Amino acid sequence: MTETKITARNVDVFYGQKQAIDNVSIDIDDGMVTAFIGPSGCGKSTFLRSLNRMNDTIADARVTGEIRLDGEDVYAASMDPVALRARVGMVFQKPNPFPKSIFENIAYGPRIHGLVQNKTDLDEVVEKSLVKAGLWEEVKDRLHDAGTALSGGQQQRLCIARAIAVSPEVILMDEPCSALDPIATARIEELIDELKDNFAIVIVTHSMQQAARVSQRTAFFHLGNLVEYGETSQVFTAPRNEKTKDYITGRYG
Amino acid sequence: MSNAVWQTPEAVRRLAKRHAAERRFRLLGLSAIVLSLAFLALLLVIMLENGLGGLDWQFLTGSDSTNADLAGVWGAAKGSLLTMLVTLVLSFPMGVLSAVYLEEFAPRARWIEWIEVSINNLAAVPSIIFGLLGLAVFINTLGMPRSSPLVGGLTLALMTMPVIVISGRNAIKAVPPSIRDAALAVGASKVQTVFHHVVPLALPGILTGTIIGMARALGETAPLLMIGMRAFVVTPPGGITDPSSVLPMQIFLWSDEIDKAFVQNTSAAIIVLLVFLLAMNGLAIYLRNKFEVRW
Repeated sequence: MTETKITARNVDVFYGQKQAIDNVSIDIDDGMVTAFIGPSGCGKSTFLRSLNRMNDTIADARVTGEIRLDGEDVYAASMDPVALRARVGMVFQKPNPFPKSIFENIAYGPRIHGLVQNKTDLDEVVEKSLVKAGLWEEVKDRLHDAGTALSGGQQQRLCIARAIAVSPEVILMDEPCSALDPIATARIEELIDELKDNFAIVIVTHSMQQAARVSQRTAFFHLGNLVEYGETSQVFTAPRNEKTKDYITGRYG
Repeated sequence: MSNAVWQTPEAVRRLAKRHAAERRFRLLGLSAIVLSLAFLALLLVIMLENGLGGLDWQFLTGSDSTNADLAGVWGAAKGSLLTMLVTLVLSFPMGVLSAVYLEEFAPRARWIEWIEVSINNLAAVPSIIFGLLGLAVFINTLGMPRSSPLVGGLTLALMTMPVIVISGRNAIKAVPPSIRDAALAVGASKVQTVFHHVVPLALPGILTGTIIGMARALGETAPLLMIGMRAFVVTPPGGITDPSSVLPMQIFLWSDEIDKAFVQNTSAAIIVLLVFLLAMNGLAIYLRNKFEVRW
């Protein structure tokens, strides 16, 4: 029995006059990986960023319609975007660790949210987060080295650990492997597979193979519309829409 | 396997021409540097030759006097220190806060654009105008003491602030947006994002701009003429409200003296001013390296 974590109804997103997302409705389930696929510029990243209100930081971005997290309206006046982003974490395309130590990268979130009372608790959160992100064994002896000195794949896992450290319910990933080599990518994909038991994960990807490998649900976006959404196996083996079929068979995109 | 296209006399000639152009450019660049450094070296040599003899304890600890042998630079140096202190205390926080607000918080509105244009213009206003403003506002309207480091510092702060705002904004702009995304995505508020991440990363640039602005203020004479800091002051100022002179003003006053003995004093005071500037630039480099974050 799966529970719905995020429901979006009739969501439009505009950048100034330009409409980037047109009337998208989707249910994102807890405890599994949902992949957003589609050609560049189809609005999948835009839609992802509206789920945790990262679009608020773009001056002329406007979101209409309804997005609910556990039934709570994400865009309601009573919703604090700061609290929302702690509940809905995000990992970006390019690894973006803070130019601080590995330890400080992870400790920052718990510290500002007051999740820990003392040094022992903090050490524990840092260790747990790194273990969950599969980075602990590689960095446990050099927690105070710069996070930016790690390799690209390690940096991305550090960013995942940083997101995990504030105990989010959802993790959004915006093409998290596009800057990584195949080995680092495989490592992240394994990690995503492990993490899905504890979090709802939404991943935007340009790699159809990746979507097929890691996700249970796939949503295909095209020109701002949600064209098809369903079980990943169904979308890839028996797409209902012609456009989806063309895209996944590589006819365009 | 050779490629015939590259063997033609035409091709060989063209390649030689490109190498010659490269050599010419290097020479031109080098001579530009040598020429400007030569003038600086000339200035230093002349100053040291004329002034080094006058740099004794009496000169460094004394204040202005009608007698060239008794005249010293301490009064003016202390005046400069106090003036710079007032300038720094006012212009640094105001400049940094303005830069942070304009870059990170200001709405995109017409009045913000006006403010931006005004600040850029303010940085280009001739300094004597600031002197007149200081005279009119601080002395005539607010009744602050004439010739004091307080009024001098306030006036120079007006001049320095736009420089700090402009360099601060550039430094803040240079912080990659991905860092802001990273902080916001873990649930940092806007203010936390700015003060925990953006400002510390922009700090080396902000400090460099501040010290360049301060160094300019240290050498400023014209605006201080207007607020009466050209008085003949024989006792070093005890505080920021006492009448005082500043180093560049002392140089200006002594260079105006008829008595030949003041020539040595003038050069010696220039050496002291240059040492001041050198110390400030050294501090700027030190601070920049200290706060620089390597990615």
